[in-house]
This record gives sequence, structure tokens and C-alpha cells, in this order.
Amino acid sequence: MIQSAPVIDPPATGPVLLDIQDLRVYYRTILGVSRAVDGVNLNVRRGEILGIAGESGCGKSTLTTALLRLTRAPGYIDGGKILFYPNGRAPMDLLQIGETELRAVRWRHLSYIPQGSMNSLNPVMRVVDQFADVMAEHGTANASEARTLAPELLRQVGLGPHVARMFPHELSGGMKQRVIIAMAIALEPDLVIADEPTTALDVNVQRVIIQTLADLRDRMGMSLIVVTHDMAVHAELADRVAVMYAGDMVEIGGVRQIFKDPQHPYTQGLIRSIPHVGGERARLDGIGGNAPSPRNWPSGCRFHPRCPRAMSVCRETVPRLLPLVGRERAGEAPPLVGCHLYPESDGARREQ
Amino acid sequence: MLRSVTKLWGASRKFQIGVTILFVLIVFALIHPWIADLVGHGQDPMAIGAYQAWEVPNTDHWLGTDRYGRDLFVMTATGLEASLEVAAVAGLLSTVIGVVVAFVAGYKGGTIDGFLNTTTDMFLVVPSFPLLLTLSAYVRSVSLFDVSLMLAVFSWPFAARTIRAHVLSLRSRPYVELARVTNLSDFEIIFQELMPNLLPYIGVGFASAALGAIFALVGLEVIGLGPASVIDLGLMINWAITWGVLSLGAWPLFVAPIVVLSLLFMAVNLINIGLEEVYNPRLRQTAGA
Amino acid sequence: MSDNAKSIELREVSQVFRGAAFRQAGGELVAVDNASFSLTADPPHITSLVGESGSGKSTIARIILGLQRPTSGVVTYCGKDIYHLSGTEFNQFRKDVQPVFQDPYGIFNPFYRVDRIFWTAIKKFGLANSEPKGRALIEQSLRAVDLRPEDVLGRYPHQLSGGQRQRVMLARVHMLRPSFIIADEPVSMLDAAVRVLFLNVLLEFKEKYGMTTLFITHDLSTAYYVGGEAMVISQGRIVEQGTVDDVMLRPAHPYTQLLLSSVPSPDPEDRWRDRMTVTEQTAGEEIPSRERCLFAERCPKVMEGCWRERPRLVTVSDDHLANCFLYQSVGDEAGRTSDAAIRH
Repeated sequence: MIQSAPVIDPPATGPVLLDIQDLRVYYRTILGVSRAVDGVNLNVRRGEILGIAGESGCGKSTLTTALLRLTRAPGYIDGGKILFYPNGRAPMDLLQIGETELRAVRWRHLSYIPQGSMNSLNPVMRVVDQFADVMAEHGTANASEARTLAPELLRQVGLGPHVARMFPHELSGGMKQRVIIAMAIALEPDLVIADEPTTALDVNVQRVIIQTLADLRDRMGMSLIVVTHDMAVHAELADRVAVMYAGDMVEIGGVRQIFKDPQHPYTQGLIRSIPHVGGERARLDGIGGNAPSPRNWPSGCRFHPRCPRAMSVCRETVPRLLPLVGRERAGEAPPLVGCHLYPESDGARREQ
Repeated sequence: MLRSVTKLWGASRKFQIGVTILFVLIVFALIHPWIADLVGHGQDPMAIGAYQAWEVPNTDHWLGTDRYGRDLFVMTATGLEASLEVAAVAGLLSTVIGVVVAFVAGYKGGTIDGFLNTTTDMFLVVPSFPLLLTLSAYVRSVSLFDVSLMLAVFSWPFAARTIRAHVLSLRSRPYVELARVTNLSDFEIIFQELMPNLLPYIGVGFASAALGAIFALVGLEVIGLGPASVIDLGLMINWAITWGVLSLGAWPLFVAPIVVLSLLFMAVNLINIGLEEVYNPRLRQTAGA
Repeated sequence: MSDNAKSIELREVSQVFRGAAFRQAGGELVAVDNASFSLTADPPHITSLVGESGSGKSTIARIILGLQRPTSGVVTYCGKDIYHLSGTEFNQFRKDVQPVFQDPYGIFNPFYRVDRIFWTAIKKFGLANSEPKGRALIEQSLRAVDLRPEDVLGRYPHQLSGGQRQRVMLARVHMLRPSFIIADEPVSMLDAAVRVLFLNVLLEFKEKYGMTTLFITHDLSTAYYVGGEAMVISQGRIVEQGTVDDVMLRPAHPYTQLLLSSVPSPDPEDRWRDRMTVTEQTAGEEIPSRERCLFAERCPKVMEGCWRERPRLVTVSDDHLANCFLYQSVGDEAGRTSDAAIRH
């Protein structure tokens, strides 16, 4: 059933909430060190949805687990800072704080919806009990308070209060995913990180989940990081999109700019690979070649072996991610691009 | 094949330890004639009255001697060899039967599966130990081979059940379906597609059946119902109990077979666990990259 | 259409699974419910079968490939029931109808090198009588799908990427030159950029080698991209058929309309302006009868008669059919129904 409702435009971008500086997450493997996340610089502002786009193997899941310090051996954090500015607390570097403080931050200020998490609901506990668990573990609410809060949280994700008394196996995939989202927002965190929230769901359920996530920003003022390889989801949800390739960001910009006027050849290839109903039937180009291995990133610009516009400098020097001036849309900050097609000068890039 | 074994070796510490211990024990058992020579200097160290009875462990007899003056070190090696022989024969026989039944039942499904399942269940339900006891009591002169046969008859259902479960899980894999649309016969699919991927499980099945056979035999002999003509570890334990060696202070006759059996048990289990760790991705401790 | 024209036809095929696992649903699961359609080899075309998970589309694929025997109905190849073909005819059927599966990891037996899938096909279908000839055939097919033989041959499956593995599957299909390709979600597990390249190869196979493809997917955008014909399936029933343009741009059945409205558009300036609520199916509800339209619970245009009678496929316009009472009076025996074969 489709109802008309006013759409609330996303609020203007606010102050920085999360500032990732030079983050490096590596894995020790038998065949050498795998540099899955290699010097990422990224920030998230209050009130926005930042989409992280990229294909499998680019490192986006490694990045999100690192943000909550959930990296497990043989992965390890090689360096960098994750500065976080939550409400009501002093700013902190998530990589430096102690375990107790980290536990207080997790769920209260920063929550996480892992990929496939709808399958990790405890099958022998009712939904309301799982809420009680989470809230008691991380928050100040005790079990009975949690039980009264649960129906309200479920309502916020569009589920009826009767769902609280149900067991996970009685719920459909879409309902389970919304229960997970409700649990993630139970303590009203500043930032929610969702990893592939719509994968493996049926199409019409996907739409409801996308709607739910948009509501978190529009109606509850939360900030989100949405990680997915599905560009159409970013088109519907994101305010800004960071495109990730081979362990680093290659382009970060407003969602309209990324889709209508992509600057980096990889982004251009991605945008040109999206079929959609009603679009032209001309053959789409795709991107040739294979994704590189994190144990053996190509020299210089990591995209150069597959880039249709590669030059000799691309093989030698890694292009830094810098603002591209002169191409910004009205009222928006310039996009950040890491590509030699736009030579560097004075800490910024310009078109030739 | 060799590639997977070497990969296993490198991948699991437990597998390495288990294989090493097992290897040492097998070698120890196989070279028992040479140990006998070394100790006996031409004479048979296991002949009755070969040496002084009840000697404590010393440089001549590392584990001392028993009631009849037989060297216990040689006896342990000989006993181990007999036990391993039972294990190998019973294990091999039960694995072969179990594999054939499991593959046919698991792959064909339907009525054949139903029939074979019922047969397997019948064998499982029959209490094997009491039956073995009864058989042993009636049949006086049983050879080692006969015992192995009887044990195999009761242990094949266990192998069959596990392997059938794995066949079922592999049967609907895409590569099996691809084989079917390429017109491979059922026989070819079972042997070419399924079998190679099931070898580790068959190996585990064999190890379990072999181990089970040894312990069944030990159980029989401790009670005194085994082939008395051959000396094996179980018989040694039986003698140890009958002669009350612990109160005599002649502990090697009791301790040696138990230590060897424990080592064997531990080795086979380590190998099993090692195989599981390598082949069952969910148990791996390393995170996927 | 003469019986000698090469075609695959499904006539009122149903697949019912029974067992303890379906106790909640009344002891049985109807995966495919009276489906009828046909695929012709001449002219070659691509027909998309679009449906959500659990709609029965994969079961139909397996039925056509002869991997699953339907509980009722008939599958014919060149007019003959595939379960009544002679040995040689069956061999021919197998060679002529080949699959591309979804999982690029599962289609290879991890124990062997990837070369083996080619050699098995060569041996079983007698494609070459000597090793050099066979080798030449393999290399030619690999190049046809834009793979370099030296990158692929002699490798184990885990040494290739997902996209490479799917293309090896295509190379195998190319080598066999079937008239019919049954592709079951072939691109769902591939990245977007690689997906498009794969689809382009399917289109090329149609144009260059005259292969007809049944393209099974849940993704409407990819179905639109490959063009041709389309069928929408839901809960085992085919609810709409026609050309891709008819079905996707002028959808007739409310279910198709719902599906289409849920596809996110890759244009940030074309965001959804309205909200959608989904009536969730939860388990434990009363088992609904199947003698009615199965979409009635969620249909915005539901009428009283929809609950009482099973709808039939009815013509909406030329060659565009929908399984909906909106286009046929309930209980109207003289209503325009048509034989549900897709014709050119």
C-alpha cells in the first residue's frame, strides 16, 4: 500500500561527528600482509547519511568493523585515528580509549548493524527479551524499563507492538531486519553504521528498509553510514557518497554529483554499469579486468591496470585524495578526487 | 591428493602431533620382531621362563618381566601389533561396507535409501557388546581375524550414518547438478564427484571404527572372553588384574598397555580434530580475509 | 508451430513438495502451480522469468533441465516428453539444453582443476576426438568470453575470481553450443561492473550463435536490460507475460506494479516521493486456500471475487497476458483466455 506523505529534505550538513584519519587495517596471512584498508581519510557530519560504495574486496567491511574496534585476528589496526564527537561526552579517539569507555560508547553513541545480522537474533528469546538484554548491557535501563520501551521502538521502525512478544522464526526477513534496526537505535546513538542492510531481502522489503533508514535521519536526526555495493540504494538514501577501491577512497562527493557528474574513472565506470528499468538499451560498458589482491596492490594508482585513461604517471605515483575545485555544484563543497587526470596545485586539484 | 595431505600437515598443529604419535606407535609395533631379537639375543624373550619372574624395570628389561618371566617391553610391542591388526582389519571392513551403503543410500535416495536406512538402524539398535559376549562365550577357539570380522559387523553402521549425512549435503551442490546435466551416470558422479570430497570424512570414519574395534576387544578381554591364543594389549590388562600386579608392585604389566592405548586414542582423536579444523571452515580460528 | 520446430514446452506443470518440514503450511508446499509456457529456438530470444525468492523460479529451472521430475504436467523437447525420450534423444536433449547456475563458487568441484568441466563435456558429448582438437576448442571458447586461456587453464577454482568463474561457465556453454540456455540467477553474486559484462555475453550468444536463454532473476533492472520477453512469477503461479516493455513499462498485474514501484532508481533526483507499507506475512496464520488469487491480501485493487476463485491468464493486449480478475469478469466463462504460449 502506498501512501502519500510529505518528504522532508535532508537537513543541511552539520558539524563533523566522526573523523577518520589515515586508518590502516591489515591482515597477517601465510602469504604476506594483506593491506585491506590502507590510509583512509573520511568524515561523517551530523544529520547526514554517508554512503560507502565499492565492490567486494575493496575493504569496506574491514573499514566498518574497525570503526567499532571489532577487528579480530589475523586482522590488526596498523595505525590512524578515529576521532568521535558524541553528544554529552568529550571528544575521543576510538582507537585509543580503554575497554570500559569503549563499551560505554558502543550502542549508546555508536551502533552497528552487521551484514546478515537479521540471522543473528537469538532464536530462543522473544524480541522484547532481546531488547532488554541489549539495553541492560549497554545502557542505564533495567529489564522492565526496556520492556516498556520496546513497543515504541518497534513502532518507530514501522512494526506493530505485537511483534515484541514474537520469536525470531515467526518473523519474515524484512521484519527481522527492522527488529535489528530498532535494537540498534534503542539508546538513541549519534551514529549508526549499517553494512549491506538490504542485501538478501526481497525487492519490496528492501524499499521498506530503505525508508526506515531514511526515517532515522529525517525524523530522528541520527547520522548514518550505509555501506553497500548497490548504487541504487545510495541514490535513494545517501547525502554524500564515498567510493572505495582497493583499500582507499577514490572519490567523495555529494550524491547528485557522484551520479550525474562522476570525476574518477572508476566512479564513472560504476555509474555506467547500472542497468535500470526504462533506461536506454545501449550496451553498458562495465569495467574490464579483475579486482586486485590486497596482498599485492598495483603500484601507483591502484586502478591503473583497469583504467581506460591511464597515463604513465599513474603507474608510478599514488594520487592523493584532494578537493577538485572549479567543478562544484552550487552550494556544495567541492568533491574529493584521487586521480592524476586533475593535476595537483596548492593542495587542490584542477582540471587540465 | 598428496597436495591435500601436505596442506593438512602444515595447517594443523594437532594433526601434526597426532600423526607423529601414531607413526611412532605403528613403527614400534611393526618392529617388534627386531626388538625381540635385540632383547633376546637369539632367544625368544617371550618364551615362558625365559627370564626371572617379576623383575622390576632395569637396564636389561626396560619394563621388567611378568609372572612367567617374559620380557614386558617386547610383550608391549607384540601386543600393540596384534591390537593394531584387529583395528586395521575391522576398521577397513566396516569402512568399506559403510561407505558403499552410505553412498548408495545417500545418492539414490527414495526407496533404496529407506531400505538401507532401516537395515542400518537395525544393526545400530542391536546391543553389540552383549551379543559379542554371547558369541565369544559359545565360540571357543576364535582367531584374531574372526574377532575382527565380528567387530566389523557391528561398527559399519556408525560409519555409514555419518558418511550418508555428508553425501546428502553434497548431493545438491551445484557441481553435482552440473555433472548430471553433462550426462554423467550415477556411478560416475558418486566416484568422480563425491568420493574425492568425502575422503577426509571417510578417513575419520575409518579411524573411529578402528579405535572402536580396539576398545571393544579390550573390553572383551578384560572380562576374559577374547582369543586367548594371541597376546594383545587387552589380554595384558586382563592378566594384570587377574594376577593382582598392583598389589605386588609389578606395575608395568598394568601401566604399559594403558599408556599405549591412551596414546593411541589421543593420537587418533588429534588427527580427527585436525581434519575437522581444516575441512570444516566454521571451526577455523583464523578470520576470512 | 509444428512439432518438429525446436522448442521446450511446459504444459500445466506443477511441483508439490510434501513432507514433515511443511507441516505448518498444511503438509505440502506448492512450489510451481500449473505453469505453462514455451521457449522457441527460432528465432532465438531471451525470456526473463522474474520473481522473488521462494516464487518457484529455480524449481522451474531444475524441472526444465530434467533434474526434478514434476508432480504433474509435462515438459517436452521438440514435442516429446523428456521422460520418454530414447537414449540418443535424451543425449541430444542434454547437449542442447545447458544451465548457467547462480553460485560461482559452488559450480566447480573444489577437488579438481577448472579444465575438468570442459573435458568432461567434450568426452560425454563427443565434441572432439583428440586431445589437441579438444584443447583448441577449449581455448577458442575461453577467448570468445574474453578470458585468456593461460589465466584460467591449469588453475583450481579458488584461484579465480567470481567473475572469472562465471565466465568459464559461459565458455563451457559456448563450447557446447546448446540451443537453449537456462540461466538461474547467473549474475546475482557478481559485482555490478562484472554483471554487465556477463549480460553482454548472453546477448552476444543470442545474436551470434542463435541461443535462446531463459533468464531467471529477482532483479527487474537486469531483466529489462536483456530485453526480449518477460514472465512474472509469484508463489508458483505465472501472473504476467509479454514483451519486456509491456510487462515493465505498462505492467498490468498489481503484483508487477508493486514490484516495479519497489525498485530503487539509480537517480538521486528521482527519489521515492511516497511511503510504502508492507503487510507482513507472519507464520502461524491460518493456512490460506489456493483456490483464489494468492495476491489478494496485498492487492490495492482487490475485489470480492478475488478471494473465491482461481484467476486464469487473460489477454490484456496483444501477446500481453495477466493472471488477474481486473481483466476478466469473475465467473465469466466466455472471458477471453488464451493459450499461454509466447509466440513471435
